[in-house]
Amino acid sequence: MQTLDCRKMDCPAPVINVKKALETSSELTVLLDDGAPRENVVRFAKNRGFQVAEKNESNYWTISISPADNSEITAVQAAADHDQVILISSDKMGEGPEELGKLLMRNFIHTLVETETLPSKIFFMNSGVSLTCEGSELLEAMGKLANLGVEFFSCGLCLDFFGLKDKLRIGNTTNMLTTAETMLSTAKVIKL
Amino acid sequence: MDNRLMVQEGQLLAVFNSGHRVMKAENLLKSHNMGILLIPAPRQLQTDCGLAIRFNEQDRDAIMSVLEQNELLPEFLSRYGSAEFVTIWKHNQI
Repeated sequence: MQTLDCRKMDCPAPVINVKKALETSSELTVLLDDGAPRENVVRFAKNRGFQVAEKNESNYWTISISPADNSEITAVQAAADHDQVILISSDKMGEGPEELGKLLMRNFIHTLVETETLPSKIFFMNSGVSLTCEGSELLEAMGKLANLGVEFFSCGLCLDFFGLKDKLRIGNTTNMLTTAETMLSTAKVIKL
Repeated sequence: MDNRLMVQEGQLLAVFNSGHRVMKAENLLKSHNMGILLIPAPRQLQTDCGLAIRFNEQDRDAIMSVLEQNELLPEFLSRYGSAEFVTIWKHNQI
């Protein structure tokens, strides 16, 4: 079984390393410092449908990650089955007054910090890209979500259209090919 | 777990009982360049509209004074510390 030493790493590095390792391994042992690194990795693995066993060593934790009860399901498959992607195509949620729509969208992202289940990726299109750019009030919340393994992708064409190419403050720029492929290959896509 | 909350140790939350009032208060405080953030009220706090304005202790007097002048005082103030929210001020106690 592969062992990953993530001690002395700051968030989100432990979650990112575990995420990468789980793309190829079905079982994994991770050595982690107590506190946020341990909490974030455990939550991430459970969120992806894995079984997690924690063991307190003298000054660190050993976390064993394995496929959930159904042994026929591989870890990679378990992760894929639980994968959820959110597509945010506006800076507002729903139809109606602009002020309310913007408030609801902010409220939604802030609330994700507290929800049990998290998406693996959030894509931002059209006016939604303003949420990942300088001046957005959501950068703090998105930073917390990034520490929990959520990845952010903003449409490059949209950033360019709004003159925001140099203002992206969280996540990466993406194109329609990646966005379309992700949407078509993910178990559940939630469009806002 | 602090990393799953939008509130940090020592910060205050002003909780309102109406969406209209909290939105007005947010706009007002922003126009005064106050360092605030409108967030969903954490699930531990019972609220009608589910929204709260977060700020730091050092801004409390300035923020409450602006809200009072504009008749937009919150229902209550809560301070986050040692993993719990404690009500430190209530509107009807004035």
